[in-house]
Amino acid sequence: MGLESMLPDGVLTSRIEALVNWGRKNSLWPMPFGTACCAIELMGTLSSRYDLARFGAEVIRFSPRQADLMIVSGRIALKMMPVLLKIWEQMPEPKWCISMGACASCGGIFDNYAMIQGIDRFIPVDVYIPGCPPRPESVIDAVMEIQKKVERESLKQRA
Amino acid sequence: MDPIEAVKTTFADQVLGTGAHAGQPWVDVKRDRIADILKMLRDDGGYDMLTDLTAVDYLNQGMAERFAVVYNLYSVKDNVRTRVKAWVPESDPTIDSASSLYRSAPWAEREVWDLMGITFKGHPGLKRLMLPENYEGHPLRKDYPLTGRGERMNFPRYIP
Amino acid sequence: MTEPRKTVMTVEEELEGDLGTKRMIVNFGPQHPATHGTLRNIIELDGERVIKLEPEIGYLHSGFEKISEYRTYNQTVTVTDRMNYLSPLCNNVGFSLAVEEMMGIKATPRCAAIRVALCELSRIADHILSVGLQAMDLGAFTVMLWTFIEREQLYDIFENVTGARLTTSYTRVGGLLRDVPPDFEEMVRKFMVKCSKTIDEIEGVLNGNRIFIDRTVGVSPVPRDVAISFGLTGPLLRACGVPYDVRKARPYSGYENYQFELITEEKGDAWSRYRLRVREMRESLKIIDQVLKAMPGGPIYVDDPRIVIPPKTAMNTPGGGMEGLIYHFKNYMMGHGVCPPKGEVYSCTEAPNGELGFYLVSDGTQRPYRWRVRPPSLYSYQAFPYMTEGGLLSDVVAVMSSLNIIAGELDR
Repeated sequence: MGLESMLPDGVLTSRIEALVNWGRKNSLWPMPFGTACCAIELMGTLSSRYDLARFGAEVIRFSPRQADLMIVSGRIALKMMPVLLKIWEQMPEPKWCISMGACASCGGIFDNYAMIQGIDRFIPVDVYIPGCPPRPESVIDAVMEIQKKVERESLKQRA
Repeated sequence: MDPIEAVKTTFADQVLGTGAHAGQPWVDVKRDRIADILKMLRDDGGYDMLTDLTAVDYLNQGMAERFAVVYNLYSVKDNVRTRVKAWVPESDPTIDSASSLYRSAPWAEREVWDLMGITFKGHPGLKRLMLPENYEGHPLRKDYPLTGRGERMNFPRYIP
Repeated sequence: MTEPRKTVMTVEEELEGDLGTKRMIVNFGPQHPATHGTLRNIIELDGERVIKLEPEIGYLHSGFEKISEYRTYNQTVTVTDRMNYLSPLCNNVGFSLAVEEMMGIKATPRCAAIRVALCELSRIADHILSVGLQAMDLGAFTVMLWTFIEREQLYDIFENVTGARLTTSYTRVGGLLRDVPPDFEEMVRKFMVKCSKTIDEIEGVLNGNRIFIDRTVGVSPVPRDVAISFGLTGPLLRACGVPYDVRKARPYSGYENYQFELITEEKGDAWSRYRLRVREMRESLKIIDQVLKAMPGGPIYVDDPRIVIPPKTAMNTPGGGMEGLIYHFKNYMMGHGVCPPKGEVYSCTEAPNGELGFYLVSDGTQRPYRWRVRPPSLYSYQAFPYMTEGGLLSDVVAVMSSLNIIAGELDR
């Protein structure tokens, strides 16, 4: 939205900001970039017992062009890193990233030739979830943190 | 038919020795006629399934050669297993491919080429399986460092 | 095309003539909702028909085999969890059995019975999710939600016993992490009743469903000898009519004491694999029932202080302190502990996906010299081009979901 860069800060934009952020945080459409064991826990979070749809994340978009929250769940190998970069570049702004699990955050137990030691070396991560794999409650907590982060954003940041 | 005895009688000049551990015998052979040995075991011995094909790097262990390509065979109708180990020297790490005999061999051989660096002559398409095409080195060898040589840092950072 | 194309044609001419189509190459890529994990297929299509399919794997290669060379045997159990992450207990049990076979020790009867019970529960977890994902890929999303509810019940049981939902790391060489808690049998019996009802519901939805039947019956049949030559094992081989099950062929951990049928199907197509998995789940429930009825008492650790660390009471009490302390110390120091004698062994168990083999080479030290995993998914996926070439593009999805490829095990 190029309009935002032209509007001055003030009461007018802060009300619009609040409205826009409220809309964005309650309808985060996740794109699960699931590779390994954490993907199974993410699928568990999305199913009936720990329903992530309550947070507006009903629509799991596997197409990056229609999503705004990428949840990287699982270990990222050498061959997969260019794929991850490409998918991240294909997502339109505004976009956020959750790094789920130990392997995506820091390499996990795999400190070897084939594993990327944390995706935050290459793409900007907003929330990290520790655990191997993290419990579904942790994933829900992370989505709530992202919601708090979205609430605090100003429109100029995402122009 | 005892496979070890059959290999020892038919290919006596190829056998380097036999071994056994925990009740599982195996036969060590030279790599020159491994395709014929496997063919004999498949057709006459009834070992119709190649359960696994892998390689071991015996660097500085005092063995005859550096690499051993291990074939674990299984006979479905008789429910017996056997193991054949073909020794491959470091100076010329090539061996004949078993892809024409067993349809389970091609990918296992690609993986051995990828991680150990042993070439298989006669393979329909020997290229890397697990690692990217432009990767250099064979990681599962004993002289390759665990954390690699910097490939895992070699990606561009995303610039918004 | 030798002559110029006519602009106005009758219907007959159009159907007979050459429309000048071109083959298309489509990337069924590593990031796709229908691929189970990170797999890539490069498909050459002529309209809807698959001419050539080339799979590419390695998008999850984690170097398992290399890192275990730097870990002791008991530490490697944590690594085995991450291979087939739908049924991690089967991997744990398979690995511990391989090391025990190499050392020539046999687990106690109670330990063996608990391992069998947990293996069968993991088998139900894997099969039920496989059936759920197969149904979801063909459109029946509700079935997947039902199966996830059953998996959550199983996660509760696993968490109660092992402490973790998914990455259990429960077995040790010569025993287990700890004994099962007292309410294990009650939880499992409650689960068995519920699970049986859920399997009935799933069968009710899918067995007579016209769409499911049309998309799976006759899709990718595999003849017996081709299946054996490809190295297929497990449900894929048994669906072709070959009665090979490692639990019957090479019984381990007390499986010879339990009565269960070896299920086979005839045609080897996607429908047979679905039917086989459902029937195997019911057999697993029968085995668990027998195990619970005949659960022996006694210790779960082998009586060998070189392998198994002594209990805390043997170290802390004033009476029997020193010896226990010495054994504990020796077990954890370099060069001691679980040190199998020099040699090699190939040991296999029946994982839900097929024959999970471990080829271990030991040089007499605490760490494995070479640890090779024989993954059943690798050989299943190798047969994928054979199964799909000549078929339709939509069959590719139906076949892939019936194979139950787990990328963690495939790439290691």
